[in-house]
Amino acid sequence: MYSFVLRRVLLALPTLLGVTLVVFATIKLVPGDPVTSLLGPAATPEARRELVARLGLDDPVPLQYLTWLRHALTGDLGVSIARQRPVTEILAAALGNTLILAAAAFALAVAGGLALGAAGAAFPGRLPGRICDALATAAVSAPQYAVALVLVALAVGRLPTGGMHDAFAPGGAGDLLAHLVLPAIAAGLVPMGLIARTARTALADLLGGDLVEHLRARGLPGRVVLAHAAHNAVPSLLTIGGLQLAYLVEGAVFVETVFSWPGVGSALFQALSQRDLPVVEAGVLVVAVCFVGVNLLVDVAHAAVDPRVRA
Amino acid sequence: MNGTLVRRAAVLLIAAVALAAVFAPVLAPYGPAAGDLHARLLPPGSPGHPLGTDGQGRDLLSRVIWGARISLAGGALPVAAALVLGTALGVPAGLGGPRVENLIMRVLDVLYAFPAVLLAMAVASALGPGFTSTTVSLSVVLTPAVARVALTEVRRIRSADYLEAARASGAGRLAVATRQVLPVVLPVVLTYCTALVGLAIVYAAGLSFFGLGVAPPTAEWGSMLNELRPYVFSAPGVAVVPAIVIFVVSLAFTVLDGAPGRAAR
Repeated sequence: MYSFVLRRVLLALPTLLGVTLVVFATIKLVPGDPVTSLLGPAATPEARRELVARLGLDDPVPLQYLTWLRHALTGDLGVSIARQRPVTEILAAALGNTLILAAAAFALAVAGGLALGAAGAAFPGRLPGRICDALATAAVSAPQYAVALVLVALAVGRLPTGGMHDAFAPGGAGDLLAHLVLPAIAAGLVPMGLIARTARTALADLLGGDLVEHLRARGLPGRVVLAHAAHNAVPSLLTIGGLQLAYLVEGAVFVETVFSWPGVGSALFQALSQRDLPVVEAGVLVVAVCFVGVNLLVDVAHAAVDPRVRA
Repeated sequence: MNGTLVRRAAVLLIAAVALAAVFAPVLAPYGPAAGDLHARLLPPGSPGHPLGTDGQGRDLLSRVIWGARISLAGGALPVAAALVLGTALGVPAGLGGPRVENLIMRVLDVLYAFPAVLLAMAVASALGPGFTSTTVSLSVVLTPAVARVALTEVRRIRSADYLEAARASGAGRLAVATRQVLPVVLPVVLTYCTALVGLAIVYAAGLSFFGLGVAPPTAEWGSMLNELRPYVFSAPGVAVVPAIVIFVVSLAFTVLDGAPGRAAR
């Protein structure tokens, strides 16, 4: 088990390095001159030369990458052009808010997805099962931004559709929950549908398979049979669930923008519309690193419950 | 309801939307930019405007029909590009030996490490807003997934007897790749790519919703959604029209293909 974890961590390192390379390359690809965008077109040649030297823009590109990487590793992701504050500061506050939203959406997706999937598998071909399958299909196809907008239109005057400034502010749990309901639904629907479909397939395969037939033939009560079947469905559910956790961070970008939830997504959207590139690149980097991290955790957890994948 | 019946309805719907896009000049009651400032924000179901009008008095049905051109193309073009690029990377990866395979797939794995929308946003923001930029960025996002499908298929057949026979009878690498391998790999990749189109349409509209796609006043579903967003409180019925259109088209594609693309990407 330890060697598996070690191997998996070592495998993630080149990926992370590649991620930083891609992010750095997109910064370099951006058309336009960063010096002009920082100083304005009326800057004196001396001021320009001084800034070029300070930002290291006259260094060879590989050296610039190494400098940028060293800064990023020490938590220095540059300064926001629009807000003139360290990017790390802006993103650290936003990340906490995004995690709260993602956790709420994930709880919803897992609970709803398992319920829909189990019902679909329990009544195959009959009306309740079909309704659950149809709901799962609809949920999978619902784009987060479209759902978010429809929810806002439906909820006018009933639930808050924005105005959350800081999830950690002393507004109380009730206030936080009220603000959390709609964004969590919008972000959780697609993962819920995918979990439902995975759960349904896994359970249907198991219920119709040899294991359950064997357990039934031994005369075990239905409760015990179900427990054994559920245990065997865990690995595939864990994989798809973990994958959804990672994608929730992505869906949050859209959802946060519509509900003005003060997370990484809103920060990214704002930075995009202001062409505040340090924040855009740092935001993408942070989310991508989280993404790689979650996938790593999922693989390790998968290996912990299913010895077959440790090979 | 019967499964095949639902699938047929989905095919019909997609065909209808595609035809509407092609024949927009004939079918749309108004031009995409023709506005009547005396008929602003009419609710859906108003006489002469079945889907209502937007904040500038433009007919929403017309804009949905005209917008289908860019929205459908915005999903289909990146998939077509990913089909070509992914096959061009996946087939050599499968046939070129372990070193080539490792090199190509490790590089593509890095792109896999990004959440799709985020990668597309980063690339599109670097290129500046516009249709080309969303198309290029989504091609980058979708290519690794297609390459993986192609590679899996090549792996399955690469030691087959008929390939050995072709090699033994003197066929070069290129001939084996194009005459023996491609005819087997392409249908599989094509099926997978068809399944990706729905997802790509949703992503493309999402990028436009973020202001990274075509500039207003060009009609496109995502940018229409963005333009109508401020009216969600004053005219909720109108503001949700593009959202529902995108959802229905997305649903039709899911019904059709079972959405394997979503699970993979």
